[in-house]
Amino acid sequence: MFKKIIAKSMSKSPWIYHVNTGSCNGCDIELVAVITPRYDAERFGFKLAGTPRHADIVVVSGPITSQSKDRLARTLEQVPEPKVVVSIGSCPQSGNVFKGSYSVEGPLEKYTHVDVAIAGCTPKPEAIIEGLYKAAQILQEKREAMEK
Amino acid sequence: MSETVVTMLTNAFSVLVFPGLLFVMIVGLLLAGIDRKVLARMQKRKGPPVLQPFYDFFKLMGKETIIPDAANRRVFLAAPIIGFVSLVVMVVLIPIGGYTPFGITFNADLIVMLYLLTIPAVALIIGGSSSGSPYAGIGISREMVTMMAYELPLVIVLLTVALKVGGGSFCFSLGEISAWQETNGALITHWELIPAAIAFLFVIPAEVGTQPFDVAEAETEICEGPLVEYTGAPLAMFKLNTAIKMFVMTALFTVLFFGNAVATEYLALNALIVVAISAGITVLSMTLAHAVCARLKIEHLFKFYWTVVTALAAISLVLVWCL
Ligand code: SF4
Repeated sequence: MFKKIIAKSMSKSPWIYHVNTGSCNGCDIELVAVITPRYDAERFGFKLAGTPRHADIVVVSGPITSQSKDRLARTLEQVPEPKVVVSIGSCPQSGNVFKGSYSVEGPLEKYTHVDVAIAGCTPKPEAIIEGLYKAAQILQEKREAMEK
Repeated sequence: MSETVVTMLTNAFSVLVFPGLLFVMIVGLLLAGIDRKVLARMQKRKGPPVLQPFYDFFKLMGKETIIPDAANRRVFLAAPIIGFVSLVVMVVLIPIGGYTPFGITFNADLIVMLYLLTIPAVALIIGGSSSGSPYAGIGISREMVTMMAYELPLVIVLLTVALKVGGGSFCFSLGEISAWQETNGALITHWELIPAAIAFLFVIPAEVGTQPFDVAEAETEICEGPLVEYTGAPLAMFKLNTAIKMFVMTALFTVLFFGNAVATEYLALNALIVVAISAGITVLSMTLAHAVCARLKIEHLFKFYWTVVTALAAISLVLVWCL
């Protein structure tokens, strides 16, 4: 019974940690908009965590610059299992406008498994909420898979 | 023989179910949920469900527990449990609606309370310092300053209440304090104690560590301070401790300022009344402050408690002394 409650709680209380890997700040601002009273992602239990140790969902924005590459890997390692990685914006997927730059070493898929990719430059807050909601469901599935 | 078995069973019941472990866990998490929901409504949001802290708790229970290499493993894991145990002991000592589970009231349980109240904060400090993170280092130094800041007014408030009830001498028994109010009316209705009650309302959020007095755990600047390295079940315990502290502090307020005056003959009804008053005080002292204020700086917090709040408590003490 407890296992069921725990699995269910996984999708109801996902805490987010946000990593900026050289984004233009557009996606970061939209992510903050998601937790404002207007969009209020807290009604699904989302909360911004202060440290990767508390996080369930890691949100990555930006095209992965050479400087941030190692730091991204280190942050992802610190997150306890089960965890879900969400990329936000077109930058982590393709490099977007920064593609071809000497300092861009994307895409994000090279470094980690991406569970949900939210496209757009910038994605609308509604799209971000939907993506995060899907990520929360994946979190529950991962927990159930861990049990087996 | 059978009598000892019965008393053992009732004692086990009062420690594990009511008013001990299970009861405080549920009520504490419920209060935390009410706090979050009302806060959201104050900010014109829909807010998380009232059961959200339960989801958080169970989710953290299901996460991996990581112990950092730099940490002292045993202390790191024991700290949240020490805090939890002391909180449960405290709840068993508080006469909820005049009900004392062990049938005894100590002569000086108010002083025992005062000591027990510091243990959860000390547990946080120990846990943080054993985790070996610099963020935790800043957090624990702030936690210590916060402790010093609210202890002084808290002691003065308790002295005031003890003096009022003792009438010339000090009465440190919680049982007697709540019984006294049955005959003489709730202490909150005595005008000279109102400043002390307000001071206590200010002490509650600092003791629990909610915004704007959560400088020690400021997640936006020092990554939740002492909790920075905690994951999984130990973190769940710390979150639970915070929730239980909410109930302990508000229940203590209820006993000190409402006492037996609101008690009925039925234990279940009494418990319900105490929980209802606790919820009201939670909203009044914690949610309201959270909704209107941003986080204070540590030096402002210290100054605020040692001037305004201490002055309020001292006014009451002087009034009670002179009248
Ligand atoms: S996707 Fe667009 S808005 Fe987002 S970080 Fe990249 S360039 Fe900026």
